[in-house]
Amino acid sequence: MESSNWVFEMLKQMGPGCLITLKLFVITIVLSIPLGLIVTFLYMSKNKPLSKAIGGFILLMRGTPLLLQMFFVWFALPMIPYVGEYLELKDRFVAGAVAFVLNYAAYFAEIFRGGILAIDKGQYEASKVLGISELNTKIRIVLPQMFRTVLPSVANETIILLKDTALISSLGVADLLNETNKIVNRTTNITAYVLAAILYLVLSYVLSVVFKKLEKKFSF
Amino acid sequence: MYEIEAINVKKSFGNLEVLKGVSLNVKKGDVIAILGPSGSGKSTFLRSLIDLEEVDEGSIKVCGESLCENGKYVSKKEKNRILSKMGMVFQHFNLFPHLNIKENLMLSPLLNKQASKKEIEELAFETLKTVGLEDKMLAKPSELSGGQKQRVAIARALMRKPEIILFDEPTSALDPELTGEVLSVMSMLAKEGVTMVVVTHEMGFAREVANEIVFMHNGVVLEKGSPEEMFNGAKNEVTKAFLNSVLK
Repeated sequence: MESSNWVFEMLKQMGPGCLITLKLFVITIVLSIPLGLIVTFLYMSKNKPLSKAIGGFILLMRGTPLLLQMFFVWFALPMIPYVGEYLELKDRFVAGAVAFVLNYAAYFAEIFRGGILAIDKGQYEASKVLGISELNTKIRIVLPQMFRTVLPSVANETIILLKDTALISSLGVADLLNETNKIVNRTTNITAYVLAAILYLVLSYVLSVVFKKLEKKFSF
Repeated sequence: MYEIEAINVKKSFGNLEVLKGVSLNVKKGDVIAILGPSGSGKSTFLRSLIDLEEVDEGSIKVCGESLCENGKYVSKKEKNRILSKMGMVFQHFNLFPHLNIKENLMLSPLLNKQASKKEIEELAFETLKTVGLEDKMLAKPSELSGGQKQRVAIARALMRKPEIILFDEPTSALDPELTGEVLSVMSMLAKEGVTMVVVTHEMGFAREVANEIVFMHNGVVLEKGSPEEMFNGAKNEVTKAFLNSVLK
């Protein structure tokens, strides 16, 4: 009874951190998936300079550590001459979220591109001979098939994101990991680490179940 | 007036000249079977009639209207209007896998505002009935056999009420025991007077249903004539050799 109260107390202290972790997770998913979609279409557009520029963005986002990108957005952007003062973000969480959204948009864009390339060219031909416009082909034929194809990869990426959110503790944001660390330091006891691990595990498990359901629902 | 008039159509893929000046006239109600060995250019020619391949030279007219003249195409808007008179059925069906059969049929008429939703739905039911699949309205393409998929693909093409339907080897991807159901739907359409151009290896169908056989070889039309003439007295040696080899 004594110990269960103690664990409950610890969980209560971790609650707000857990909420911040979830907030970062939801914000990143909700913004990076549509942004990734836009990035894919721009990358695959026939406009060469635009496609090259987007290719550069993807290279930068995938080729440098997310942690470094967060530090860059928070510490370095404001130091850029002339424009820096407009790029200064007042909130550590917001700075971290910006880096997360940009980084994950690049990864999602590449996943989506793979999904689009996997679509048989016969689908485009059928659409064309049926007099379906290019825009409607994208919306009604390409996107639904792409989403189905990429669901397993998106699920994978989403679970990685959930765990990556812990990186934001390096900016001093009071997320789940940061709060856990504080408790461990205070109690000189590793129970909080175990609890945090269980929390991450439960959330990952919920995500994988949700995605399995989605896969089933959208199978064809 | 011809339904399709192709004059001296030429097309190259890189250095490879696939069509070396192909001409073809299709009258209303014609059923034309294009035969020939693989690589003869027959599929490329058929695909160029509906703008899936862009030709380099030559002219194509559909129902008297120019799709392309001396290799120059009309505007996109004109193209769409002219091409709406044609339907196409592919070797690999190309049904939309994420939509059920009814949605496959209704998508294009709905997007093109061909009629009210209710009318389109009724048309879908009637059209599926003509190919004998009205009980599959809510099935997904993956639940159908190859022959059923191809019948749905034919129904989907019919939804737009085309004047002409092009068939690109419609039975080549099917198991032998499933070709019959597709060919009988095509024969029925032929009897109803639908104009058809069919690239095929089905000699029986070509003989029984087509009123003209066109034999292509190496990017040209070597010989054409009625099934009677072609199957009993082809003049060209290559034609003869091909027909003999496939009829054995």
